[in-house]
Amino acid sequence: MSLLEVRDLRVHFESRDLYNQRRVASALNGVTFALDKGEILGLVGESGAGKSLTTLALLGLLRPPARIVGGSARFDGQELVGMPPAALNRIRGTELTMVVQSPRTSLDPLARIGDQLVRMQRRRGPVDKAEAMRRAQAMLEEVGIPDAARRLQAWPHQLSGGMAQRVLMALALVNRPRLLIADEPTTGLDVTVQAQVLDTLRALVQGRGMAALMITHDLGVIAHYCTRVAVMFAGTIVEQGTVTEVFRNPAHPYTRALLASTPRRIAQSGYRITGGAPPNLYALPTGCPYQDRCPQRAAICATPPPAAEAGGSHRAWCHFAVPRPETVDA
Amino acid sequence: MTAPVLELRNLVQRFPTPDGRSVHAVNDVSLALRPGEILGLVGESGSGKSTIGMIATRLLDATAGQVLFEGRDITHLPERELRGLRARLQIVFQDPWSALNPRMTIRRSLQEPFLLHSDLRGATRERAVEATADLVHLPRASLDRYPHELSGGQLQRVCIARAIALRPKLIVLDEPTSSLDLSVRAGILQLLEELRRELGVAMLFISHDLETLELVSDRIVVLYLGRIVEQAPTRQLFAAPTHPYTQALLSATLPPDPDAPLARHVLSGEIPSPLDLPPGCFFAGRCPIALPACREGPPPAHQRGPGHVATCIRVPDGSSALPA
Repeated sequence: MSLLEVRDLRVHFESRDLYNQRRVASALNGVTFALDKGEILGLVGESGAGKSLTTLALLGLLRPPARIVGGSARFDGQELVGMPPAALNRIRGTELTMVVQSPRTSLDPLARIGDQLVRMQRRRGPVDKAEAMRRAQAMLEEVGIPDAARRLQAWPHQLSGGMAQRVLMALALVNRPRLLIADEPTTGLDVTVQAQVLDTLRALVQGRGMAALMITHDLGVIAHYCTRVAVMFAGTIVEQGTVTEVFRNPAHPYTRALLASTPRRIAQSGYRITGGAPPNLYALPTGCPYQDRCPQRAAICATPPPAAEAGGSHRAWCHFAVPRPETVDA
Repeated sequence: MTAPVLELRNLVQRFPTPDGRSVHAVNDVSLALRPGEILGLVGESGSGKSTIGMIATRLLDATAGQVLFEGRDITHLPERELRGLRARLQIVFQDPWSALNPRMTIRRSLQEPFLLHSDLRGATRERAVEATADLVHLPRASLDRYPHELSGGQLQRVCIARAIALRPKLIVLDEPTSSLDLSVRAGILQLLEELRRELGVAMLFISHDLETLELVSDRIVVLYLGRIVEQAPTRQLFAAPTHPYTQALLSATLPPDPDAPLARHVLSGEIPSPLDLPPGCFFAGRCPIALPACREGPPPAHQRGPGHVATCIRVPDGSSALPA
């Protein structure tokens, strides 16, 4: 059994238009993936593809008009979908934690760093303050914050962006969670600082046997820090596999378009027209969600694409993603 | 050699803080752009790259230094005379959502440059608006829509259209693709290259992303805390990065290929505060190969090749390479 098993997760936004007609945006349309201990799964896709929404749904953080309309998410065997708030609260912040993108607005501006770390530990139950402070300091050291003893007394506004991001990571890790969800954890950071934060994350995942789900739009981060990758489009996963499988042999046309639009690939192979209008979630086509932008579109694409096995754990949801034999070297 | 379209001489920008100190945002920056050239300005947050873009377009007055546009000193040009100049000197910002008036249709926004700077009226002006939309490959049907009805990529095309409408000599692009999705980003970069080819417009391309600049720019200037640490033709910069900071920046860029080896120089230490900059090289505190002399005075600029200058004390004896 995997640590996290998400199956056919569906989320709708229900609203009414100017004429009071009911409108439904199908934001997640059957998301399925699993995550094991020691893995970092990268979730990639364009804005509106449902990356952040997937994590909010897992954490029970959706608010109307968003609503889970189907599917299941099992964390360590427990069903998260429909779990009562009190039960969810025992898991969130302890077993299952999250690092968000904007460190500056996610720290309590009125509390010192040390106190925030102590407060976090109290989510698990009563703890001795001195002991909690000692753990807080150790945690700050673990995420690579120099002079941790002094930083316990610091206020959030005294920290640089990279420092604040690492403090958030310390908050998310101090309770030794089994799963960390990180939504664009390095997007606001400078590249020279990004490496320090990601190295820390990877070392912790591997060293403690935890797992991480990382949302990022940065293919370089996925290539070098994730073990597996899931590519999302219009609320579904269109391809997933190990990072090597997907980057070497992308099987879905959307994944190929995505990989072809990095500056480095453009420099090698020139520009290819890959963009296009984002899909209209109020009126998705039947069948493959990517058909309107796909260069390989055919009549069969109006029927739902099957999960094509592309070797190993590699799957692509495309009618034309024929299984490829392992590359044979001459 | 042709006269530069833009020349910045010894720019200094300080911003006063409420407690009487000052943020040293730009510290003696000089650079020049040739007509039709795309110059990349790269740096991390706080490097002063956006401030330089604002000064170049006179949206901000420098504390000291000179701005020359087409050979003419515009540093203290009064607002009335600047107006005429702005048709030739344009800027595109990072966030197209906030750069367009939400209450104007796209057509109305694109009419604005012609209303302000030309005497085109009626059908002639409409033809000019539509020709401008065509140049950036904006569907004509989008013209009568409002900004909220378009995607980010389309909106950025509108902003670029507005900037090129009057055929400027220079466009400052401040992170024009950073808020866009990867596939949309590629389309914008392709468009910019096309406009440079067709209109011969020079571009000062500000970005934190070296890979983007590698693709589009002819030359790159690397900034660190408001000071130029290195500048070189793009290929030369990538082939022989010389300043230790440039080397670290390049090695921190993660190629989107799991098989690509990483030559990692992970930096430690904190970036100094621009409120309290050290007397010597600003990078000395994080530089793995800093010498005692680096902390004493500002480092001299050394020529490393044609058009390639690095501001590091170790350049003359060739010892500026970071250890692997």
